[in-house]
Amino acid sequence: MMDDSRSVTAPPGRADRTARMADLLDAARGGSEDALGQITAELSPMLWHVARAAGLGADDAGDVVQTVWERLLSHLADIRVPQALVSWLVVTAKHEAWRMRSHGRRQFPADQEWLTAIPDHATGTEEQILIDEQQRALWRAVGRLSAPCQALLRIIAFVPRPDYQSVSAALGMPVGSIGPTRGRCLEKIRVLLADERGGS
Amino acid sequence: MNRPDDASDQQLDDFDFAILDGIRAIFEQIDPMPADLPERVRFSLALRGLETEVARLVTEEDSRLAAARGTEQSRTVTFDSASLSVIIRIEESKNGSVRIDGWLAPPQRRDIELETSAETLRVASDDAGRFAFGQVPRGVARLVVVGAAERDQSGGGPTVVTPALVL
Repeated sequence: MMDDSRSVTAPPGRADRTARMADLLDAARGGSEDALGQITAELSPMLWHVARAAGLGADDAGDVVQTVWERLLSHLADIRVPQALVSWLVVTAKHEAWRMRSHGRRQFPADQEWLTAIPDHATGTEEQILIDEQQRALWRAVGRLSAPCQALLRIIAFVPRPDYQSVSAALGMPVGSIGPTRGRCLEKIRVLLADERGGS
Repeated sequence: MNRPDDASDQQLDDFDFAILDGIRAIFEQIDPMPADLPERVRFSLALRGLETEVARLVTEEDSRLAAARGTEQSRTVTFDSASLSVIIRIEESKNGSVRIDGWLAPPQRRDIELETSAETLRVASDDAGRFAFGQVPRGVARLVVVGAAERDQSGGGPTVVTPALVL
């Protein structure tokens, strides 16, 4: 059980969510298609963004999402806790995306590797979609990050909050500090954001 | 670098969370997951038996040469599973349906099913591992190489399913 007196920063509902995912996993292991459907509905967008952040085109990213879920069926028995589920999914999606790219199914110019994650950033079309000025400032700040930071923050932004720790560990970043790369990326974007707000 | 506290996000403050929430909202707007993807996932997960091998998509090639001839367009897709490979060529017909020619490697006689959202089409491969579906409606479909017991020289093995394809 979670000790609420200590985890003051815990947003309400995170324990509920963890418990709910645990129940869904149990039901899915028991063969419930409905439970599996709820899990896939909730976490497919995260997998989509992992694949897109890896530089895949839309068709390939869709295939990766599908393949990850198919592979999960064979691994359901091994995944005991919801935290393990999300990090398993993220790592498997990254691996599948890498595998698909290494097979060269589609060709990318090498330097577009990361730009695909942020399509046509320079053209400003996304900026027009974003009506909210706060969002536009954030988007400009994202565009000024290094490509790996853009991809990393994109992935982490779609990871459910209670799973940050296990995902950061699974991505090979030290638990506790959440990882120097992630820390640097967030630190960097805070500076850039202050810059956007102050300078324009 | 190990820290005694166990909650990793204790070092993220509300502003960090607001940034991540904001990034999430932006990507949801500019590059959303395709609306039909959850349906494709459900379709491919449905009715999957435990004794089934899932084939992986290995290569996919579009052929624009045929299109250049002004007739039709085709693509060749290869799937691998532990026990066999399936290669299919998908050709658009003029009447709006699709023709699929396929080969199993190693060559073997097996029952082959094509599950579409409307119906399941059934054919069998010949000794050379060849099979064909002459007229397939467009849409989402997947191939199933039906499991067969080992019998004489014709081989046999577990059921193999491919990921869902958009035809």
